[in-house]
Amino acid sequence: MLTPARLKNKFISKMISRFPSVAKHYIDAYKPWESKDIPWAPVKKPLSESRVALVTTAGVHRKDQTPFNMHDTNGDPTFRKIERDTPVSDLTITHDYYDHTDADRDINIVFPVERLRELASKGLIGSLAQSHYGFMGHITGPHIYTLSEVSAPEVASRMKKQEVDCVLLTPG
Amino acid sequence: MGLIQRVIEEEGIPTIGISIVRSYTEKVKPPRSIFLHWPFGHPLGEPFHIVQQVSVIKKAFEALYSIRDPGTIIDVPWKWKRESYG
Repeated sequence: MLTPARLKNKFISKMISRFPSVAKHYIDAYKPWESKDIPWAPVKKPLSESRVALVTTAGVHRKDQTPFNMHDTNGDPTFRKIERDTPVSDLTITHDYYDHTDADRDINIVFPVERLRELASKGLIGSLAQSHYGFMGHITGPHIYTLSEVSAPEVASRMKKQEVDCVLLTPG
Repeated sequence: MGLIQRVIEEEGIPTIGISIVRSYTEKVKPPRSIFLHWPFGHPLGEPFHIVQQVSVIKKAFEALYSIRDPGTIIDVPWKWKRESYG
């Protein structure tokens, strides 16, 4: 259900996508987590031998999964597992903070899973991981903690178990 | 996105992120990024523009292998809708 607050967010997201000057105002107002140290894991295998996973914060999930919560103003810090062979026709986007009109037509512009499948079938990529993961961006307040200490470590640990060699991340 | 990227990298898995807001990426400091000055909602470009989408993915994987310094952001100079790919 679209409440007035959600309609307002969707309107602002359209303005931000279409007019860069409006975007600058919101970009400057949003204060992301500021980090000092930078983690580093060396790449060990050529891409043609690597198992690749895809993670997006564009609010992508399967249509039969619970949509991301758009009523919490701090965002939804949970994730949705998207199995490797899920057809893109089974996917949808729940995210009021960017204009996904174009991505609704072709989800590959935020979640390029069909492009990765093609690259894997050509042998450029070794293989795709068993699961990809959809998150929602625009996480603020206490949910930053949930994301960085609970949800993201859970996904990272699953990837480790599935022997993922490298990960591509895409925003909304 | 950068926060999730950092956590995965901390687990020992190398990562590459596509950024469309350079100032956020500079602050969050994920280990490796490519930056495209493109609109929100279009990190891989335009709908059904397969050659463009593949170009971005290949650029990202090139960066995964070429970046040596943690926190590097590679600026991709491609113009929105005015570039020829392939």
